[in-house]
Amino acid sequence: MRERLNHLWRIVATGLAFTAFGLGGVLFALTVFPILTLSIRDTVRRRRIARRIVQTSFAAFVQLMFRLGLLNYTISGHEKLARPGLLVLANHPTLIDVVFLISLLPNADCVVKSSLARNPFTRGPVRAAGYICNDTSEGMIEDCIVSLKSGSSLVIFPEGTRTALDGSMKLQRGAANIAIRGRIPVTPVLIRCAPRSLAKGTPWWKVPARPMSFTIEVLDDMPVDPFISAGSDALAARKLTRFLHDLFLSPSSSHANSAT
Amino acid sequence: MTKEELFHRLSTVLQDTFEIDPELIRPEARLREDLDIDSIDAVDLIVQFRPYVGKRLQPDVFKSVRTLQDVVDALHGLMQESVEA
Repeated sequence: MRERLNHLWRIVATGLAFTAFGLGGVLFALTVFPILTLSIRDTVRRRRIARRIVQTSFAAFVQLMFRLGLLNYTISGHEKLARPGLLVLANHPTLIDVVFLISLLPNADCVVKSSLARNPFTRGPVRAAGYICNDTSEGMIEDCIVSLKSGSSLVIFPEGTRTALDGSMKLQRGAANIAIRGRIPVTPVLIRCAPRSLAKGTPWWKVPARPMSFTIEVLDDMPVDPFISAGSDALAARKLTRFLHDLFLSPSSSHANSAT
Repeated sequence: MTKEELFHRLSTVLQDTFEIDPELIRPEARLREDLDIDSIDAVDLIVQFRPYVGKRLQPDVFKSVRTLQDVVDALHGLMQESVEA
């Protein structure tokens, strides 16, 4: 009985959480971001503040989901994310991975669909924060490298979309190309979620039997030189992509079964 | 350059730059599906053919091509144009 009630509660609470997320987005788009755009002329400063606002509201969203009893989480190595100019590459099991990662990064840039820069609900934050739009691939790699060199951190999920339910992965090579061509070390992050939920093809209201337990592990920076030593950049990007694929599929190196 | 020579050159570039298995390099092989050449690779590929075809070779040429034969045809067409111009 108690379990059934808890299950029902989590369906309602998930709906509440996502409604709050959507309403918050609209509210910010109508108030905070227009004010920011009008009041701060300096683009760099405005971006920093906009990104800080996004970070803080995403952290609040994680807290909301935690307090509603929808999830618990363990994060190791999060202090590594406080540094500037990181290329953060993570696997992508759930819908809220990006919310977790952005909530930990003080000056995060993102690659977003270019339609989000025109959508009235999202264009406020997307433009104020100066997020990179994914229209052309050639230009995009360059844009990402420039952003990283200027000290922004960049979160990319090389899978391009959430991991399939069977756990198999196919990685795109764009992220590896940014690392290789920009000679930028990679900060890998492993995200585990058990039971798997908010996955691709799972509707939000199909809540799992028990609350989701996230284990997020920020690994040490990985230099790219060893991948470049032999052959073309294209080959180095292939090698790095294969390496990341195996890393993402490897069992978590520590506290794989812990829950808080 | 004849189409045969172009195909041979393309084959060399695919093996050297991307380590594509020579067995897979056939005229009907599809760039994306069979050879795992993505849009970033296409840019690298184009850079290597600029000396033959000139600056008019833009990455969008590869948006309309699917197979290696299409690449050879597109390159050959561009070379004819630069000869006539």
